[in-house]
Amino acid sequence: MEIWNNIIQAAMLGTDKRQVVAGEFTEDFTEVMAAVTNNQSIDKEEKFLQASAIVFNYRQCGSLPVYKEGIDLPEAPVEEFPVCRQAATNILNDILNEDSLSLLTIWLQFCGKNNQLVTPRLVPVLLNKAEKQKALQGLVEKCCGRRGEWLAQFNANWSFSSGTSADELWQTGTPDQRKQVLQQLRITDPGTAREWLQQTWPQENANSKAALLKALSINAGNDDIAWLETVATEKAQKVKDEALNILKLIPASAVVQKYKNLLRETVTLKKEKAMFGLTTKTSLQIQLPAVIDEEIYKTGIEKLSNQKEIPDEEFIVSQLMRSVPPDSWESLFTANPETIINYFQQQESTKKFLAAIVISVVRFQDKRWAVAFMQYSKIFYIDIIPLLPLQQQEFYSNKFFGGYENSIINHAIERKEEWGVELTRNIFRFTADNPYQYNRSFYNKYIHLVPVQIIGELEKCKPANDYDKSVWSNTSEYITKLITLKIQTIKAFQ
Amino acid sequence: MNLSEDQILALAPDEASKKAGRDLSGPSKWVSKGANEQALWGECQGSGSKPYQTQIDLAGMTFKCSCPSRKFPCKHGLGLLLFQAKQPVLFTEKEAPAWVAEWLKKKQEKTEKKPEGASQPVDEAAQFKRQQAREKGVADGIEELLRWMKDIVRNGILPIPEKGPAFFSAMAKRMIDAKAPGLAGMVKNLGNTDFFIEGWQSTFMDQLARIYLVISGFKNKDNISPSLKEDVRNWIGFTQNQDELKEKNGITDTWLVLGKQVTEDDNLATERNWLYGTQSGQYALVLQFSVPGQGTNFSLTPGMVLQAELVFFPSAEPMRAIIKRQLSTGNQARVTGLSSWLKVAESATNSNVRVPFTQERPYIIQQLKPVQYNSQWWLADRENRLVQLKSGYQNLYTLLSVSGGKALDMVVFGKENLYEPMGIWEGENYIVI
Repeated sequence: MEIWNNIIQAAMLGTDKRQVVAGEFTEDFTEVMAAVTNNQSIDKEEKFLQASAIVFNYRQCGSLPVYKEGIDLPEAPVEEFPVCRQAATNILNDILNEDSLSLLTIWLQFCGKNNQLVTPRLVPVLLNKAEKQKALQGLVEKCCGRRGEWLAQFNANWSFSSGTSADELWQTGTPDQRKQVLQQLRITDPGTAREWLQQTWPQENANSKAALLKALSINAGNDDIAWLETVATEKAQKVKDEALNILKLIPASAVVQKYKNLLRETVTLKKEKAMFGLTTKTSLQIQLPAVIDEEIYKTGIEKLSNQKEIPDEEFIVSQLMRSVPPDSWESLFTANPETIINYFQQQESTKKFLAAIVISVVRFQDKRWAVAFMQYSKIFYIDIIPLLPLQQQEFYSNKFFGGYENSIINHAIERKEEWGVELTRNIFRFTADNPYQYNRSFYNKYIHLVPVQIIGELEKCKPANDYDKSVWSNTSEYITKLITLKIQTIKAFQ
Repeated sequence: MNLSEDQILALAPDEASKKAGRDLSGPSKWVSKGANEQALWGECQGSGSKPYQTQIDLAGMTFKCSCPSRKFPCKHGLGLLLFQAKQPVLFTEKEAPAWVAEWLKKKQEKTEKKPEGASQPVDEAAQFKRQQAREKGVADGIEELLRWMKDIVRNGILPIPEKGPAFFSAMAKRMIDAKAPGLAGMVKNLGNTDFFIEGWQSTFMDQLARIYLVISGFKNKDNISPSLKEDVRNWIGFTQNQDELKEKNGITDTWLVLGKQVTEDDNLATERNWLYGTQSGQYALVLQFSVPGQGTNFSLTPGMVLQAELVFFPSAEPMRAIIKRQLSTGNQARVTGLSSWLKVAESATNSNVRVPFTQERPYIIQQLKPVQYNSQWWLADRENRLVQLKSGYQNLYTLLSVSGGKALDMVVFGKENLYEPMGIWEGENYIVI
């Protein structure tokens, strides 16, 4: 409004420097401004204040909305699925107030599995959560339905939920989004994922090459070998290293074959007479060949031991053993895992290499060998636990809990499946005794792994120490609250 | 009466109380509980041996608890309400225990009791003398304020941001001395102008013009209508005897609480409750003041519906009111708002004509939808008329998500061409956003 702008300009400079004159006003003001201007009893400042008050009121009374045709917002598409029940929404509210990512994930999983949607009012809240917690993005996208996709178009930070196709995201997304798309595709269609990366490879810089290449470690297979071997000759060291790391995960790759061949020459079976020549005893002999292809050392195998008590030769052999799939031993000795483990266990000099084989079991995710190790090894190798069938994981976690508490908890929290009641009891008893290390946030973070049946047993987990007992009383109250929310979530979607 | 969880939590005095209330919203802590049409009660096991007795009068939404908390309502009151909202079937006990019945009885007796002291003789001469002195003090203060304002406009407002808060607080204090607390507040608000945003000059001049209109009204009190004179006196800070006000007849209606705004200044919390009479179509502003540890007379929460008699302060444009009697509470009411932005402009203009220094207020409008135009968000009515959303409106995405691009019946708060949504109707339910 021009007249008001004139008032503001005059006000900024001050009446000593600028007056609002009659000519600045429109016809509507002629009479009233004449009365103000001609009033000899007031000074110029009050005349200005009067003029301001009049224009202020004129502006207030004449304020009209803008008329504009054709301004519209496309409506959100009709949803395919129904919104969840009010009870479920109330629980979601409670979970959001509790700030528990673990419970939120459970809630979203149930909502998604039941083909239900979150109430539109909470869609922005969930999109904001997913913006910060990338692991939630898929679930949030599903539970927010088409309303979420529609809403995401108005906020660039929510582009993950805007219905953009994986192909589009790969072409135009942020580095993080491209990496995520590639990782996802690598799970469902590893070949296409590799082809996508091959197509854009010449346009990527070294950093993005190295970052994207990491995704190929998911489902790395024989089809990747040829291209990875060319990538391993690129200039940039970080790209080379990344390619080599992935090749080392593929048993048929040249580098793994090279290690296998060297081990074939290094580890041999020796038959000896025993019991005064009445029986034959087979034992392992481990010795590196006199001449080793120097190329081996360019693939990440260190020549010199980094520990005083381990000789260089033992260190090299150990690295090689870590890098070949455990089933290589079966073809090498034409024997089953039990026999091979026993070969290694026979002598002190060979027993120490079992730890390296365990590393290879974990590296190549060989579940058969994992079970064999648990059955036939005289030593308990905790790192093998996640590769065991669920029932065995529970059994061995409970069996070896005393003495390996922290390690077993560290493995347990990585699990996707709920803990058994006995394992939970063991964990809670230990964590109750260590309230500083395992505080509320521990339970908040891993409540999805806690079976609801434990709710009646919290009292039994009470520590002996009086102070810890009172801390546990508060903690168990908190755990009860979290478990109650978990139970309510399950019920709300039944 | 069934308040939603959001409505219950809106009664909480602070965030900590909300959290603590939520923690008590399950059955584990309540050793006894019950509800009938009049009240809700429960005994909550705290850290002591004896459980706290918590009771809520549902007609007046008043709370009482035996806990030592200075917050109002306390976490037990909130927890009990939340508990009942979540699991009403667990409240099987209908017979109020003695401690509840006694409280309700006392409340009833207090309501029915006639105000005392009405027959006390009044020394009218002394009262007149006091009034004269007050008017003289205010008039002197106003002259000083006018001089101060003239100095501002003489020197220009450009250097104002550099003057700092003391420049305004000194004049506000002077207005307090002159027994014009309303003007003191207006001066304080002038000083609270956000000098960091573009266009602060216009906001500043709006408030300066508003102050000038009030003081001009006072100086010309003999030439203005009696009702506008009351408005001027209210703005200056002449208090209205609320007992006298309560003697007057009010409007009995079903009032919907449209919104609640709480501000805190010098440990004094001011609660601004915006109400709408569903039958009378009258808007009302009910102010409640509280200091820490002291609750308000009425617990109002947006979306709540109360059957009550409201008495309005005398005004050319009655808006501020007090609750004379609260008869019952509920939680659903359907209202029909204005049909377009033009109707809002017409209504706002009429209000401004009657009282030229009005401030932001709510309006109920039918079928508004958020739209984007010129890279800004607006609210469009069915006639393609747009009013801009206030910049920095925090709940834009909630509004968008709830609307899904469709028009909604809405309560908007603001003035002229800048408004923000206060609440919307989702089906039959009014919800605050």
